[in-house]
Amino acid sequence: MMADGTPDLSGVWLGSGSNDADIANPRGLKAGDSVVMLPWAEQLVKTRQSKDDPESNCLPAGIPRGSPYPWRFAQTPGIYFIVYEGNIHSWRQIFMDGRKHPADMIPSWYGHSIGHWEGKTLVVDTVGFNDKFWFDYKGHPHTEQLHTVERYTRTDLGNMTIEVTITDPGAYAKPFTTVGRARIMAGQDLMEYICQEDNFDLGHISGPAKGPGGAQ
Amino acid sequence: MKESGVMKLILRMAVTAAGLLAALPVFAHHSGAAVFDTTKKLELKGVVTKMEWTNPHAHFYLEVKDADGTVTSWNLELASPSILLRNGWKRDSLKAGDVVTVDGSPAKDNSKFGIAQSIVFADGHKLNFLSAYEDLK
Repeated sequence: MMADGTPDLSGVWLGSGSNDADIANPRGLKAGDSVVMLPWAEQLVKTRQSKDDPESNCLPAGIPRGSPYPWRFAQTPGIYFIVYEGNIHSWRQIFMDGRKHPADMIPSWYGHSIGHWEGKTLVVDTVGFNDKFWFDYKGHPHTEQLHTVERYTRTDLGNMTIEVTITDPGAYAKPFTTVGRARIMAGQDLMEYICQEDNFDLGHISGPAKGPGGAQ
Repeated sequence: MKESGVMKLILRMAVTAAGLLAALPVFAHHSGAAVFDTTKKLELKGVVTKMEWTNPHAHFYLEVKDADGTVTSWNLELASPSILLRNGWKRDSLKAGDVVTVDGSPAKDNSKFGIAQSIVFADGHKLNFLSAYEDLK
């Protein structure tokens, strides 16, 4: 528990709120949910090439796509930060001071996040995204209409559940909710991961966008 | 939240395995299958000329001499430095001058580039793509 009575999410965490190979994988969705793309989005996914994945080009993975690298919550009065080791080495800010989303925003990779507590769950509401990041290795797209609501709940010392409701009428016929979890990496610290320094694989990537193991 | 010393120890033991397992989705920033042909095997014997502790992938150069004396330099890929270091690799685990046998898979584009799945030294000790712990497959 933090000094102000809010739950303490501190720790080095590993895990994410969705399936990063394919966000439509039923195992990464709330029971009964499905991902239904609009026709243009379905067509786009079929044509996307692996080398064009922004994540492979050391650009942000956006929300909710995770990575095999840990991250931390830094809870400070009025503002929280999620600090990501990789991929990429970056951070997001979550305004906890009661402000609303601004009316006129330049679209960005991580959007504008405002958060509040519902009991033990941190609820993070984000809009203002650009349309550039991919939801997964498979290449599921989104538009600037994307609105995400993340729910982080620390269920015990070492475990956190993460749910993300995704609403994007520009690309998906209906909202859907992804589910995932994170585990604490006790005794670990974040390390440096500067993706851009030596990204030599880029010159050798070929083929259509698909999941890490090659499964489509 | 205060953790007692005992709790910290229990957690550390419990999550070491989880941490290693969690490192398994190793093609961290791109699809490995987009780069390498994992149906093909590569076996190279040679001497390490350089170890690069860089992101997104640590990698090393191996000089391999053919039967006819031709020398080829291969670039061989490992997991990220953070994953290697968390799984027992040290800065000098692999360095210039080491004589090793590397098993892995080649890049799809026929360049002298591959992924190093296991690295065996003359004295029999091993490293792998992810870790320095021999028993981890």
